Amino acid sequence: MAWDSKRTVIIGLDGMPYHLIKDLAEVGVMPHTKTLIKSGVFRQMESSIPEISSVAWSSIITGKNPGQHGIFGFTDIPLHTYRLSFPNFNDLLMPPFWKHKGNGKSVIINVPFTYPAARLDGVLIAGFVALDLRKAVYPTSLLTKLNEIGYRIDVDSNKARQSLDLFLKDLHRTLQARIQAYRYLWDREDWQTFVLVFTGADRLAHFLWEAYEDKHHKYHSAFLDHLHQIDKVIGEINQKINETDSLLMLSDHGFELLEYDVQVNFFLAQEGFLRLKKIPAQSLADIDYGTTAFALEPARIYINLEGKYPRGSVKPENRETIINELEASLMSLEVNGKKVIERICRKEEIYEGPHLYRAPDLVLLSNKGFNLKGGLKATKLFEKDIFTGKHSQKDAFLLINKPIPDIIQENPSVYDIVGIMNKLKKNKC
Amino acid sequence: MENHNAECTCWNCPAIDLTGKVDFRSCGQSREVFSQGSIDDSEAHIVAECKRRPKLGLFDPMSVTFAECPEWKLTPYGYLLKDMRVMILGIDGYLGWTLALWLGSLGVKVTGVDNFSRRDWVKERGARTVVPISRMTERLHATKEVLGIDIEFRETDILNQRNLLREFIEEIKPEAIVHYGECPSPAYSMIDLDHATFVQRNNVLGTLGVLFMMRDLAPESSLIKLGTMGEYGTPLTGRPLFEGMFPADAVLHWEDQEWSLGGELTPRDPGSFYHVSKVQDTYNIYEACKYWWLRSYDVMQGVIYGVHTPQVAADPRLRTRLDIDEWFGTVINRFVTQAVIGFPLTLYGAGEQIRGFIGLEDAMQCMTRLIVHPPEPGQYDVVNQMSGFYSVRYLAETVARIASREFNLPVIIQRVENPRVESDIHPFKPIYNKLPARFGFKPKVTLEDEIYRTLELLTQPHVKERIEEKKHLILPRTWWSGLKKQVETLEVIEEIKYEPSSKTH
Repeated sequence: MAWDSKRTVIIGLDGMPYHLIKDLAEVGVMPHTKTLIKSGVFRQMESSIPEISSVAWSSIITGKNPGQHGIFGFTDIPLHTYRLSFPNFNDLLMPPFWKHKGNGKSVIINVPFTYPAARLDGVLIAGFVALDLRKAVYPTSLLTKLNEIGYRIDVDSNKARQSLDLFLKDLHRTLQARIQAYRYLWDREDWQTFVLVFTGADRLAHFLWEAYEDKHHKYHSAFLDHLHQIDKVIGEINQKINETDSLLMLSDHGFELLEYDVQVNFFLAQEGFLRLKKIPAQSLADIDYGTTAFALEPARIYINLEGKYPRGSVKPENRETIINELEASLMSLEVNGKKVIERICRKEEIYEGPHLYRAPDLVLLSNKGFNLKGGLKATKLFEKDIFTGKHSQKDAFLLINKPIPDIIQENPSVYDIVGIMNKLKKNKC
Repeated sequence: MENHNAECTCWNCPAIDLTGKVDFRSCGQSREVFSQGSIDDSEAHIVAECKRRPKLGLFDPMSVTFAECPEWKLTPYGYLLKDMRVMILGIDGYLGWTLALWLGSLGVKVTGVDNFSRRDWVKERGARTVVPISRMTERLHATKEVLGIDIEFRETDILNQRNLLREFIEEIKPEAIVHYGECPSPAYSMIDLDHATFVQRNNVLGTLGVLFMMRDLAPESSLIKLGTMGEYGTPLTGRPLFEGMFPADAVLHWEDQEWSLGGELTPRDPGSFYHVSKVQDTYNIYEACKYWWLRSYDVMQGVIYGVHTPQVAADPRLRTRLDIDEWFGTVINRFVTQAVIGFPLTLYGAGEQIRGFIGLEDAMQCMTRLIVHPPEPGQYDVVNQMSGFYSVRYLAETVARIASREFNLPVIIQRVENPRVESDIHPFKPIYNKLPARFGFKPKVTLEDEIYRTLELLTQPHVKERIEEKKHLILPRTWWSGLKKQVETLEVIEEIKYEPSSKTH
């Protein structure tokens, strides 16, 4: 294979917090990562708002904010409807970096929110949400090989909820198949950019964050072992790359211990902002007249504006008043004397671009331990589910194998990755 | 109530592909839309794609109602899916053919299969339909010519030619399957062992095959399956005949404890080996909905009668069959026939048996309302499809009154030995609220009007002649005990004379 210079390799560790990878590198669970940290540049990174994979990865691969790329969450609500839609890669309104001119051939494996797979110069296997493998692969001729190695896009969340043992087994199989796929494509394709994302770290953290924090937990070693396996692959890739290749490792958001799920729509209903036709509601179609605000996952609040939604009840001139009332109400929300909301972001503060009009009016950021949820079926304001980990916004990480101190700004965010890749390509080292 | 299904959502719609499930609490996904067991996954989202509007992308199927969807158009029977594909199993029969024309006239894309076995069974007994019907090719041709409707038909035996049915379902991808494709005769099933075996095998195993095919090929389609009110029997305690399942507040008191019966299947007390086959179907369908998330309405139809819908009356070639023999004739139709030729109207035993009834046109209305209001995935539900209930004696008297008053026919009513094993005198408390309350059904045709319309048709000379030719097959000879002899008269009730009526129809 003819090695060209300036190839880029990205290893994504979905949901891997800066402080966790740092700790695991130091204690020897991730020795290869430790080597890279020592020799490169390693920074804490801010995620998108909200700090969820669809928005964060769309920002990472386009270098744009949601007001520009149009992805505000895993769910959305088309104007003039109460239809809860699940946007996908077709709805991404800015091109990912592998479509940029001069990028060359790419291998993209398991980047979240790239489903359904679209034509590109290279190969793409989409990541979560990607329900049908047949639509997740470009070119489709690769399907035979993937089926042969038992490739799976993700763990089966239904099974995971039934049994943690089953979940770990599934996680292991998924990782092994992913490794086989990457090895196959690494050697077979003449790529310029190779992206491999491990989503197992995120799934593990959702189900077993508690197990990480408690050394005596039944699944503590299983938690570490999975990340150790990933680290081995990191070492393997580091061995394979050339000196001129750039290796970036990054996560899309961080994680922390989940103490309470907080149901935002339940709160909005309790405070009189949201009126539902029936309780528990089944869907957004149950939003009734008189509703002034409602939330979508995880904590995006939409003002039910007249002319914007079918049963919109807020006149545009009253929007500001409703927002003020919401802010006052939400900031007063407490559980056990602790404030739930850390910050309320107005869309104009955090987004810019031609799709700002579609953005949620407010996005909430929670204080530590509170997991904000935007479902409609909740019957309690605070709940505790089986999940013990939740996303955190400020604690993603970025690591580059090149010792160029000014290649990353002091406080990088997910929006900076494309720019950093471009800088690396132009860099002479 | 035209908009009974306005608030139904894509969750009910057969044009939806349920692609999988996502659980944003754990960034989780699963291809398994339906999970068994007690795990609370109510916060997980089911993800759907519309086969008709792919541009919508993936969405929550519960967030779009029929009233909002441009694919569903308001009709007098509720919102109807545009060009809905409905497959009728048993399309050549009395009900199947009538429904095909009825649905076709509403814009439904009708397909159907039949192996003409009803024609064969009737012929085997030496009988024939007294209203002449055309061959299928002529029926299809006339349908196109007179009504402008295309019906796609395949000659197929659903039990013995499963591969053909499978191919047809695969090709058509029906959005609802109406299952009339069974042998509908209690008396036929009681002739002898061979007939009992045939009826049970044909009905139960034929339907079982359909269920497996739906699992594999059309799980989002709904099965509207013809059962019978006869599944329930007539409990002598007077216990209400609930609609298939006990209501939520039903409680059994036993050994100083209360046991909820809510939602459980009610007891069945079938009255022939044919009825047993229908009961077995009920359990098979119930289980299939439970195992495979199929969706079905099991239609416990009262005794059907009548000859008229606007479509079948539009041309002689479009008429549906009318049987009067002891095996395939139903009571009101048979009484009208007897009145037409001066044959005494025959009551079995005391003649006080009470049954639920529904006219042909009202049955079509009910079926349409069920088709346009599909059950949810996994939903097995039962409707008691009837518009009223009467004693057999009352029906005989009503036919006699109309025949005599409106058609100047002298009518005698007689009681004969009852060849069946059934109660002649019994309480009867049917519940039949679902179709009116949930599906907006309002009976349009009165008993008297439909009897009148049937008399009008059957008194036509060419029909009357056909009745005369087969009148020897009217009196029953099939005894539930196994006897083979004609029933004997117990009592002749005097001729009833009525004054000519001034009523105009």
